[in-house]
Order: sequence, then structure tokens, then C-alpha cells
Amino acid sequence: MSRETPSRRGARAQRATAGGRWRSWLRHHRAMSLDSASRLLRHPVGSLLTMLAIAIALVLPAGLWLTLDGARLLDAELDESATLTVYLEKDVGADEAGRIEQALAAREGVASTRLITAAEGMAEFQQALGLEDALARLPGNPLPASVVIHPQDPAPAAVQGLADGLETVAGVEEVRLDLAWLERLRHLAELGRRVGLGLAVLFGLGVLLVVGNTIRLAVENRRQEIEVVTLIGATHAFVRRPFLYSGAWYGLGGGLLAWGLLTLGGDWLAAPIAALAASYGASFALPGLGLAGSAMLLGCSTLLGWLGAWIAVSRHLAQIRPR
Amino acid sequence: MIAFEHVGKRYGGRFDALANLDFRVRRGEMVFLTGHSGAGKSSLLRLLMRLERPSRGRILVAGHDIDRLHASQVPFYRRQIGVVFQDHQLLFDRSIYHNVALPLEIQGAEPREAARRVRAALDKVGLLHREKALPIELSGGEQQRVGIARAVVNKPALLLADEPTGNLDPQLSADIMALFEDFHRIGTTVMVASHDLALIARLRHRTLRLQEGRLVADEEAA
Ligand SMILES: Nc1ncnc2c1ncn2[C@@H]1O[C@H](COP(=O)(O)OP(=O)(O)O)[C@@H](O)[C@H]1O
Ligand SMILES: [Mg+2]
Repeated sequence: MSRETPSRRGARAQRATAGGRWRSWLRHHRAMSLDSASRLLRHPVGSLLTMLAIAIALVLPAGLWLTLDGARLLDAELDESATLTVYLEKDVGADEAGRIEQALAAREGVASTRLITAAEGMAEFQQALGLEDALARLPGNPLPASVVIHPQDPAPAAVQGLADGLETVAGVEEVRLDLAWLERLRHLAELGRRVGLGLAVLFGLGVLLVVGNTIRLAVENRRQEIEVVTLIGATHAFVRRPFLYSGAWYGLGGGLLAWGLLTLGGDWLAAPIAALAASYGASFALPGLGLAGSAMLLGCSTLLGWLGAWIAVSRHLAQIRPR
Repeated sequence: MIAFEHVGKRYGGRFDALANLDFRVRRGEMVFLTGHSGAGKSSLLRLLMRLERPSRGRILVAGHDIDRLHASQVPFYRRQIGVVFQDHQLLFDRSIYHNVALPLEIQGAEPREAARRVRAALDKVGLLHREKALPIELSGGEQQRVGIARAVVNKPALLLADEPTGNLDPQLSADIMALFEDFHRIGTTVMVASHDLALIARLRHRTLRLQEGRLVADEEAA
């Protein structure tokens, strides 16, 4: 007795227009999403605890991601300050220095140049050290002229390559670049990114487990119901549906709580972070989640909840056989 | 409607619960399945519902070998069979109305049409006035009638019942059997497993008798 059924009455009952099927499918989705939401609300404390567990699992990777996002902004600011200083030979005169600067500016990879003549260099030096009197007593100007170069590509390897090329230019005594701390910061950021990714994966699994376990218990509680509906012709999709909605609701709730925690945490940490950044002469603030970030957080958490439920129900349905 | 062709069912690799069953049931027929406890009545019905699969032989329902059904087709096959269980298998957290409506809900029936059919089925078993009650508020006989209403609410071509009167007193049992006869009378194929021999004898329908998994008697109504 497959779908081309022997029973005319049965056949009529089965036969539905495509529109009718679509409507009944929508009807069941609406019913199940509301039903699973009301089941969650019937046990508010238990539901809240599950959502809180999800939220805590989400907050750490999301917080780290925000921190890295902030670091990326800081990185851009640092790139601005990635410069090379080219010291010219001591006997290069002012005209000659100007020509060399133009030659340097024309080279590939150089974004901009600024010439600091020997006299300007001395003035800056005096100002910086506050040694005007002592230096004024020196017989001549011991400082060479120099050219400060902003490279087009601030990546450490590129800057190093550019510096090597500039060494050979006639009239250039020495090229200085201080990349060590920039590089260290980059390595740190990269490390942070990887730790963040690893944490995100681990804690994502954590969310799956939390939701999976909760749903497993829910399935166990409704075992008899599942057996009965399976006996009278429910498809797996039908049986799964309310649990998938529960999982999605848990995920969404957890995501909202995580969002709240992140917002509160951001406010709480903002002042000390600003003070710390200022002490390094940088401006750094934790960026907020923004609209896209919030949507992403809620989307991911809902999806994780749904997925956790799917895994739990599928594993469990295989074991439930009607008596 | 139903054809068993040399069907055997072996549990756990050694024990033959059913052996070499070979019989047919015509469309619209009403058949009793008897035999003492452990004879294999439930196993036979479970094979028909495709809760179990035969170890040997074929089972044809309406000309289709049900062992060949793909897992995804099984729910749709089951929707066309009404089943009444000895222990009713009602859901205790929802009303009588919603218990009976369950098969229609599963099939995605249109709510107004579903309401009409649920009321018709409840009316048929005489429980229309209890539609808002919970199963727990009903007596055993009433619960069984709810189970029957649920089994017939989508007008199945085949109605199976496994010891539907097992826990009921004789008068209630007779009432329940009379309901099955009503469905038989309007053209439904009915198969009822029961060991209430006195009641079966009075009702005069074809009777298949199982003994240790074998068909030992196939008696047409006298
Ligand atoms: N799932 C099962 N696994 C192993 N043995 C079973 C299973 N189901 C039934 N049996 C055995 O098959 C035999 C027939 O059982 P059953 O069909 O329930 O008989 P009846 O319904 O006539 O009392 C019994 O001996 C029972 O123990
Ligand atoms: Mg039995």
C-alpha cells in the first residue's frame, strides 16, 4: 500500500495540492516554533541556565575577536609610523642632499620622503634633549643630513628589502629602521588571532555539547510521544522539528545574553584600556559589536543551537524504536 | 488486501517467533487472530506495521511488498493503517481532542477539515462530550475508545488492533468489538488479535489461530 493506495478514501485524504502541502508545512513550523518557545518558558530557570552556559561559551571568543579587531585598527595606525631614516654622508652639502632626496623619492616602493638638513637635525636634537647650551658650544655641527622615508608597503619584509636597496645609493652613509617591536606586535596579533580561532572552535563545540545535552534530555522526556507519533506515521523531519526549534531558541537566547555581557564588559573595560593605550601614546578602544557584528553573533549562536539539537535528536532517534 | 507468503520471523538469530505463515486476507474482510500468549500475534501485527521485517518470505499489502519500502516511505505507509494498541498509547499531556487529531496533524491536514473529522470520530465512539478532557480523567474503556477514534480518524483502509479488549470487562469488550464490526461494515479491512475466545466465537468472523508461531487453524465464519 504505497502512495497509489488501494483505498479511494485514503487516497483522497492523502492527495493534497502543492499549495496545500506548503501551507500545512508552514502551519506546522509556526506551531512547533511557538510550542517549543512555550516549553522553554514553562521552565524559565532551567532554560535561562542553559542559555547562560551558551552565553559564557560565546563571550570569550567573541570578546577576543573584538580585541583583535581593535588591534587591527591600532596596527593600521602603527603602519603609518613605519619609516626608514637614511643618513647621508657627512660631506654631502645642502644642494647635493636635495638631489639625493629626489632620487630616493623616485625609487620604487617609496611613498614619500622628507629631507632633514644637518641644521634642522641639530635643532630637533637640541629641542628633544634640552641641551641647547651644551651643544651650542660645539665647534661645528656633528650631525649629517638625513631623509625620512615612508615606504609604500609597511610589511617588515618589504621595508627591509627597500632598506637594502637604499644602502647602495651614492651619498648614503647608513639606513636605519627599527622593525623589531613592530614585528613583535604583529607576531602577537597573529598569535592572538590563532588563539581566538582555536577558542572559537572549542567553545563552539562547547555550545553544541550544552545544547545537545539539553535536547537529549528533552527527547528522553518525550520518548513516549515520539514512539506514538512514529507508530502513526510521523516522518523523522516531523519528529525532529520541535527539538530543532528548541535548540535554535536556546542558541538565540544564549546569543542575546552574550551580546549583553559583551556590551557590559566593553563599558566596564573602556576606561582602563583607554588609559593604558594613552600611556603608550596610542589611541586604542575596544570597538563595539556594531550591527553586522551583532547579527553575526546572534546568527552563529542560533545556528549552533540548531545544529546541536540536530545532532542530539538524530543520534537519539536512531535508538528510539516503537515497542 | 493482505498476503503472507511463507513468512518467518526469527528473533536473535535462533528463536522462530513466526514460521511459514501463508494466508491471504481479502479487502473488506474482518479477521480475528487468536492463540495464547507468546503465540506470535503481536509479532504478526508488528510485521504488518513494518515495525519489524520478516526473516523469510514476503508480505504484500495491496499488492506491494512492504519489505521493499524505502525508510522514507514507511511513514506514509503507516498513515494508511489505523492501529489500536492494548495500552492505548495515548499522550497524557494533551486533551482527548488533540490525541485524536494527532494523525491529522502529522499529515498536515487543514485545521477546519481536521476538526470536522476529529468530532466525527469521537462521535462514532460516543465520546464527543469528553473532547476537552485529559486521558487520565477517562476510564479504561473510554481510553480504549479514544485509541480507536485516533486509529480511524483518517479513514484507513486497514485497521489493526492488538488485544484491544485485554483489560476490559466482558460488556465493555463487547462494545469495543461492536465498534470494529461497524468499521468492517463500511468496508474497512479489520484484523483484531485477541485471546478472548468466548467473545470471538459469538461474533462469527474468520479466525486465524496461531500456536508457537505457526498457523494451526484458519476457520471461516460459521
Ligand atoms: N523483540 C523481540 N525479541 C525477541 N523475542 C521476541 C520479541 N518480540 C517477541 N518475541 C518473542 O516472540 C514470541 C511471540 O511473541 P508475541 O508476538 O508477543 O506473542 P503474542 O502477542 O501472541 O503474545 C514470544 O516468545 C516472545 O517472547
Ligand atoms: Mg501480544
